[in-house]
Amino acid sequence: MHLIELEEVSYLYPGAASPALSRISLAVDEGEYVAVVGANGSGKSSLLRLLDGLRTPTEGEVRVASVSTSREEGRRAALREVGLVFQFPADQIVSSSVEEDVAFGPECLGLPREEIRRRVDSALAAVGLEAAKGRPSHFLSAGQQQRLAVAGVLATSPRCVAFDEATAMLDPAARRSVLGLMDALVASGVAVVHVTQDMSEAARARRVLVLDSGRLVFDGSPAELFASGSPRVGALAAIGLPDWGTLAAMLGLEMLPLESPDGLAARIAAAYPAPRAGPGPRGDSVRPARVGPRPREPGADGRGSPAGALAFELRGASHSYLAGTANEVRSLSGIDLAIPAGKLVAFVGRTGSGKSTALQLLDGLVAPTSGKVASLGVDLGGRSVDLKKVRTSAPLAVQRPESALFETYAADDVAFGPRNLGLSGKALVARVSSSMEEAGLGYEVFRDRRTRSLSGGERRRLALAGVLAMGGEALLLDEPTSSLDPATRRQVMDLVGRKAKEGVTVVVATHSMDEAAAADFVAVFSGGSLAALGNPEEVFYDLYDPAWEIGRPFAVEVAIALEDRGFHLGSRPLDLRGLAAAVGASRRGAPPETAAGRPSAGGAEDAGRLR
Amino acid sequence: MKGIEFFRNVSIGQYVDSKSYVHSLRPSTKYLWLLCLMVPGIGASSYLGAALPLLLALVAGAAARIRPSFLLRGVKPILPLMVFIAVLQFLFSWPGDDSGVLFALGPFAATAREARLVALAVIRTVSLMTIVGLFTATTSEGESMHGVEDVLRPLGRLGLKPQRLALAVGVALRFVPIIAGELEDIAKAQASRGADFGSGKGGPIAKAKAYLPLFVPVTVRALERAEAMAEAMEARGYSEEGRTRLASYPKRRGETFVRIAALLACAAIFAIDRFVQGL
Repeated sequence: MHLIELEEVSYLYPGAASPALSRISLAVDEGEYVAVVGANGSGKSSLLRLLDGLRTPTEGEVRVASVSTSREEGRRAALREVGLVFQFPADQIVSSSVEEDVAFGPECLGLPREEIRRRVDSALAAVGLEAAKGRPSHFLSAGQQQRLAVAGVLATSPRCVAFDEATAMLDPAARRSVLGLMDALVASGVAVVHVTQDMSEAARARRVLVLDSGRLVFDGSPAELFASGSPRVGALAAIGLPDWGTLAAMLGLEMLPLESPDGLAARIAAAYPAPRAGPGPRGDSVRPARVGPRPREPGADGRGSPAGALAFELRGASHSYLAGTANEVRSLSGIDLAIPAGKLVAFVGRTGSGKSTALQLLDGLVAPTSGKVASLGVDLGGRSVDLKKVRTSAPLAVQRPESALFETYAADDVAFGPRNLGLSGKALVARVSSSMEEAGLGYEVFRDRRTRSLSGGERRRLALAGVLAMGGEALLLDEPTSSLDPATRRQVMDLVGRKAKEGVTVVVATHSMDEAAAADFVAVFSGGSLAALGNPEEVFYDLYDPAWEIGRPFAVEVAIALEDRGFHLGSRPLDLRGLAAAVGASRRGAPPETAAGRPSAGGAEDAGRLR
Repeated sequence: MKGIEFFRNVSIGQYVDSKSYVHSLRPSTKYLWLLCLMVPGIGASSYLGAALPLLLALVAGAAARIRPSFLLRGVKPILPLMVFIAVLQFLFSWPGDDSGVLFALGPFAATAREARLVALAVIRTVSLMTIVGLFTATTSEGESMHGVEDVLRPLGRLGLKPQRLALAVGVALRFVPIIAGELEDIAKAQASRGADFGSGKGGPIAKAKAYLPLFVPVTVRALERAEAMAEAMEARGYSEEGRTRLASYPKRRGETFVRIAALLACAAIFAIDRFVQGL
């Protein structure tokens, strides 16, 4: 008997023109591990809500433990047997204290007090949050909140836990911990259904479902999905292959369903018998050449940039939230950081490491509790400082900037900033249309579209257009690609790259090390301090410290694993294309053309699709 | 310069974790004290009568190991409101006001009666803010929620659903930090697009106007967050029938006495208020 069965299920949202899901049939068994992938709007979330009993199909039947969810008792059974973890951590926490929140489910089941106590304790132990038991839930980090959400679901003892892009808003370390929880659930016999946009996460499952515009286009193992030549992978174009698959394809190797950097390095070393001529020219080894004091000022040593003007400067800057209250939290302590004008700088680090606060300091949105901040030549500590001018010359796109859209029509929203700058008439229209075009939203097509009717990716780009329309000398972007599908992510990163080439100073906070590797400089934040600063090569090869918990680009991991096997690359690649070129070059025994071919961040994925 | 930070001035809902006797009292007892101090705080007509609840709140605060400055902090944000009330009092005169004129400025005169009303309003406001501050500092969100349930339980027979009301209180409290956070994010997003927040420029009307573009997105976000939370609650099997509760609040030693004391305090303040008439 299957745990969950879908028979010819279609679902149409009330008032929608086309169904979110059409004629889906599938079954999930006890203890299975299933991943569901598909682009934004392909129907993944609707599918989960049908499994869970939150929604009932417009056609066909969903049965959980053999009872149809179209009947009320079946729906209640589905809600009980299938737990759901959502994308936004804070939205699913219903109580103000950790313990009370976990107790919510068991309380609704009407369990006796002792049983609730036992379940709360064991659920919190399972996700490693025992220590946070009595804490207010809104003081938890995003990763902790997501683990709390899992605990809340576990406390109702479901037979299946469904995750709706539950890792999309998390930093790499928190992501790993939630993925670890999924493995633990499967090991304990609970079925897991994981909806994700990330193919390397999906490949961990034993079975992958691919949705395309509401239809189920693939149902099989990751190995079958990645098998080259399969006609069905066409649906994967929007999601792309996992890094190891892309690299294997570039090098003409067989694509494995799941492979570690080390495993792939072993296969590359075997397939490419390179001349073992020792380290490449200039002794340029990928092994960390431990340098002395960590550089704090890119360009100061003449390597990074011509000693040009500084766009931003932090001197001993510290900041505390809720300063002077019982709940004071120190977010930054004693940051010294200089950002040269016209460069692309990436801020990386765990959630809560101070990246966002640092960006807001640069923009004068938060004031330093001590220390100095200079932004585009203006000392923000000055008494008569014109904050509006500083903020508009270096506009900041906050996290999920689409939340702040407020006009009914798209073009009006973009015009908000330029209007505040005093633009009107033709100049205003010109500014608005050029920024919308830059963000990939054709002015004629989108100007009269209702803001609320745009898709998630379009709204993100509209919000970015509103920031571009400020025409600032600098751009500050806080996780501009978070929770976007890979195709939209690529569009946004291309835009960032273009602005940097035009000479705009761009500072981007990101959790994607591939995006960071495409920057001129990387600043690593850890626990409110600046842990390292340098160009991507220095940061990921020389200075890298696992304690930062940020991870490294896949290409760097493979390059180091290759070096460990005595396979000398002669260069220090930062992305898959660079790595593939370096492997090819070392086989020919010729020096690679470029030291670290650094095409756009999307290069790797493009290559993956070109196969 | 001044940064944009809204959380800092939200004093309601700032629980101070402590093991004091006051903290350990049952939520229903705390609600009783809240009521017994607030009623005379509003109803007393003498200075002393309105100030005594404030005094008692500060004493209870000391017993709960909470500094008076922490309790009085909530008064600061409403100072402009009090000034506004004072100006209104002096601008418009009471019909049949024959008390002596203290000072006059053109057609406007401040009479002794008006001055007395302003002083009373200030004492009352400070009293109430302090009492509420004491309550939230000693009662966690969960306790305030369960307290509502316990206090209203007798009304369950009348068809009222105390659990549902308690949940409404709990969710409302849960939304205080959520809305403050959304407001802060959206204000920051707009400030970096040239909106005037915290830049310290412009008159009061310009300042108020700058907040207009905040209303739409904050309202929309609040509704979206509410919808998401409703969905999350449903997904976790929300039900009203036969719900049980993890939290329990055993009776403390002397709790009955503390409750009687609340009623006595209320009665005593009113008695004193009557006795000192006019003071």
